[in-house]
Amino acid sequence: MKKSSIFGIIVIAITIAIVICTYGSASIYGTFTDAQKNSGELHIIGHVDKQKAMQYDARKDANYFSFYMRDTLGKECKVVYTNTKPEDFDSSDKIVLVGHMAGGEFHASHILMKCPSKYKNDKIEVSATKQGSI
Amino acid sequence: MNIAYQGEHLLPGQLGQFFIILAFGSALFSTISYYFAATSTNKFDDSWQWMGRIGHFINTISVIGVGACLFYIIYNSLFEYYYAWAHSSRTLPVYFIISSFWDGQEGSFWLWGFWQAVLGNILIWKAKSWEKPVMTVLSLAQTLLTSFLLGVEIFGARVGSSPFLLLRQAIDAPIFSRPEYLSFIKDGQGLNPLLQNYWMIIHPPILFLGFASMIVPFAYAVAGLWQKRYKEWIQPAIPYALFAVMVLGTGVIMGSRWAYESLNFGGFWAWDPVENAAFIPWLTLIGAVHVMIVYKNTGQAYFTATFLTLISFVLVLYASFLTRSGVLGDTSVHSFTDLGMFWHLVIDVAVFFIIAIFVVVLRWKELPISKKEEETYSREFWMFVGAVFLALSCLQLIVVTSIPVWNAMFKTHVAPPSNPVTLYNVFQAGFAVVVTLLAGVTQFLKYKKTDTTRFFITSIIYAVFSALITALVVYATGVYHLRFVFTLMAFGAVYSVLANAKVLSDVFKGKTKLAGSAVAHIGFGLIMVGALISAGTSKVISQNDTMDYSADFDKTNNPRENIMIYKNEPVKMGDYTVTYLGDSVSTPNHYFKVDYKRIDAAGKITEEFILKPNSQANRKMGLVSSPDTKHYLFHDLYTHVSMVPIKYQDDEQADGGHGEENDSLNYNPPITHQVKIGDTIPFREGYIVLQSLNKEAHVQNIPLGPNDVAVGATLKIVSHGTTYTTEPVFMIKNGSVFDFARKVDDAGLKLRLSKLTPTKNGDALVDIMVYDQPESKKPYIVMRAIEFPYINFLWTGTVIMVIGFLMSIFRRRKELKTA
Repeated sequence: MKKSSIFGIIVIAITIAIVICTYGSASIYGTFTDAQKNSGELHIIGHVDKQKAMQYDARKDANYFSFYMRDTLGKECKVVYTNTKPEDFDSSDKIVLVGHMAGGEFHASHILMKCPSKYKNDKIEVSATKQGSI
Repeated sequence: MNIAYQGEHLLPGQLGQFFIILAFGSALFSTISYYFAATSTNKFDDSWQWMGRIGHFINTISVIGVGACLFYIIYNSLFEYYYAWAHSSRTLPVYFIISSFWDGQEGSFWLWGFWQAVLGNILIWKAKSWEKPVMTVLSLAQTLLTSFLLGVEIFGARVGSSPFLLLRQAIDAPIFSRPEYLSFIKDGQGLNPLLQNYWMIIHPPILFLGFASMIVPFAYAVAGLWQKRYKEWIQPAIPYALFAVMVLGTGVIMGSRWAYESLNFGGFWAWDPVENAAFIPWLTLIGAVHVMIVYKNTGQAYFTATFLTLISFVLVLYASFLTRSGVLGDTSVHSFTDLGMFWHLVIDVAVFFIIAIFVVVLRWKELPISKKEEETYSREFWMFVGAVFLALSCLQLIVVTSIPVWNAMFKTHVAPPSNPVTLYNVFQAGFAVVVTLLAGVTQFLKYKKTDTTRFFITSIIYAVFSALITALVVYATGVYHLRFVFTLMAFGAVYSVLANAKVLSDVFKGKTKLAGSAVAHIGFGLIMVGALISAGTSKVISQNDTMDYSADFDKTNNPRENIMIYKNEPVKMGDYTVTYLGDSVSTPNHYFKVDYKRIDAAGKITEEFILKPNSQANRKMGLVSSPDTKHYLFHDLYTHVSMVPIKYQDDEQADGGHGEENDSLNYNPPITHQVKIGDTIPFREGYIVLQSLNKEAHVQNIPLGPNDVAVGATLKIVSHGTTYTTEPVFMIKNGSVFDFARKVDDAGLKLRLSKLTPTKNGDALVDIMVYDQPESKKPYIVMRAIEFPYINFLWTGTVIMVIGFLMSIFRRRKELKTA
């Protein structure tokens, strides 16, 4: 066999390995119900329930943050994130969690935030009086 | 309904918009003229060429005009323009106005267009016989690029997005029905605090110069195939390709330096889609450079060289599609603006992809592809293998980063890997092993044919040496704890450094030609070593194992990387004793003074320094923190405040007035101590000494009558090694008793002199009431500290690599002149 054919086969094999590994390690988008059935990590898209209490007290535990999130099907679940409360959490609306379910709580390993105020839906801020602040 | 708006400055915007249209028109004109110039058969008629040139000159001038108008608008805070309002503010220092200039998509397109215009002028000046076809391609790219800035309606669809859009056109709000609306808009949205970093002034221009210069090798390749100058195009394209690789590489590393200095994910690289997007075309073009050199020297690998050169620029456009179209959506922490240019961006990629395929297919039969196989023991064969592996590494990045694109194309709903960093690291380390080993081994091979015995002896000797050094490095740094592929990568990197060091030593014996490549490869090897060790063995030293508030977490093996420290209470952290000393505000930044001490066994302080990580409490973006880093020669200590109870600026001002009434909430119930001069009062965090009584105490502007008494107790407070003095005052005025408490905020104390009891021997007993702060009221910060070992290899490697590229560029240019 020619050297270039051998090399060609190796290249094709690596390409296939890349595709298979990508597919194999890819996660899924799911809901809290899926997370309960499934023990692996998955992505859940949802909205933070701002009516319910968020718990973060650095004095008690700087690495414990919990809140409630509603997934796309409307199911709500307590989410625990063992880290500080993310800096722009309050201003974010839609979030994506990566993690797994553990005993009725969803343990998030990452929280991706989409902050509506940052780029889109700009709100015009106007001051009440004309000669107000400089 | 026509409203006569007051106070708007419409001229700069109208002028800017005129320049945009002119830039687009002139680029199109230049493309067409150059096309006819390139296809014209009349050698003596250069009128098309001149028209093309004039078109490009006008384009250059208009692009500069667009920039000048936009800068004028931002610099003068003309918030009637959306771009200025959205990206700048009055409080922004002048040098960050430059960063807000390219904060938005329009500004960065402008930057790209500006560099492309500059490169066009260089080509007109230097490219000689290549000018016509090369400039046709470049002008076409410029036409498409300027079309992104148009912002005009064509057949009901908006094409591009203009930076000169007015605020009232961009946003629909009731206040725009008022003619004097502008007087209500006091300030712009401001620049994201994370971008307020000096790297953000220099990194984007470098990065976009890198992107822009990728067009040149592409244009040469297309021109070569189009004009049937198959063999000729490669040599003049090599210096440009080297330049593009050098600049883009520098831009990417500058971006990672910025991330390291001002972001808080704790590192310099996170395989974020934005980072990958810039890295992807770099990988293919660096592969292309190698096979172009192979072709020039041996006539082999023609197709690979052409393919990689062509695909690199297509990937630049693909990368800009990824980051600008909003297709990444939920997969990236970055919020990408979707300016409604999805299909516009797709068209841009498609146009150049089709051109690339078209020229290759059209000329396929005529391409000078060598039928002869390379020798196994030849440099060209292994350089070719290395280039293919670079392309494979790029392929892996594309496949994973593009998951959202596959979803959009195949209507699937696959999420990205939940731990993408590991996936990328393992794959990319594997490719790095092959690439770095080849960068070493090929140095011992010669073009065409090598003496095998000699080759094996030298390469094996160097391999043994490298293995020894690697074993030492891997053992000392702890890399061996990681997966085995990372040890192999360390070996590959060391090998490539050593092998190229040998080449460099030959340079001093007179073989100067290879100096550039040797230096660049050494730099690359060092980058790999630095990246591997610092990312692989970085250690979080703020690990928090003391609390058991939620014991069930231990099961989830969470790192618990943040630590809470109270003000003035030293905490042991790794080798350091860390104390949060207090904060200072320099609007809008809030700096936290964190003192690090290294104490030896004898209790002596061997080292002490203060880091000042900062945060901004930003209404629009929440708390935005930037780390501070102590740089040592062989490691860095990175500290970042992850949570802190600071108030927003506007709250603080509103809060200033009251406070006294609620003060009792801030302190524990007082403890009263009856003491005399010289006595010591202990409290939780130190002690207080009554030093003397001051019988002539004054309280601000309260005048004292002849029968009135005011006595101050001079108190020395020692808390955590710091001494404070204060003087609470007891006063009898007009028969009534008053006392004036004093606060020592840094020690968390409030002190009152509540009673004076004279004794028989003339001394006085005084009652001192001590209020201390409960734990819950004490100021604190939550921080994270990480040690990055040997990260300086990464930065110095980069500088060395750039020097190597520069040397190579000069060498290749010289070859071009002598050839």
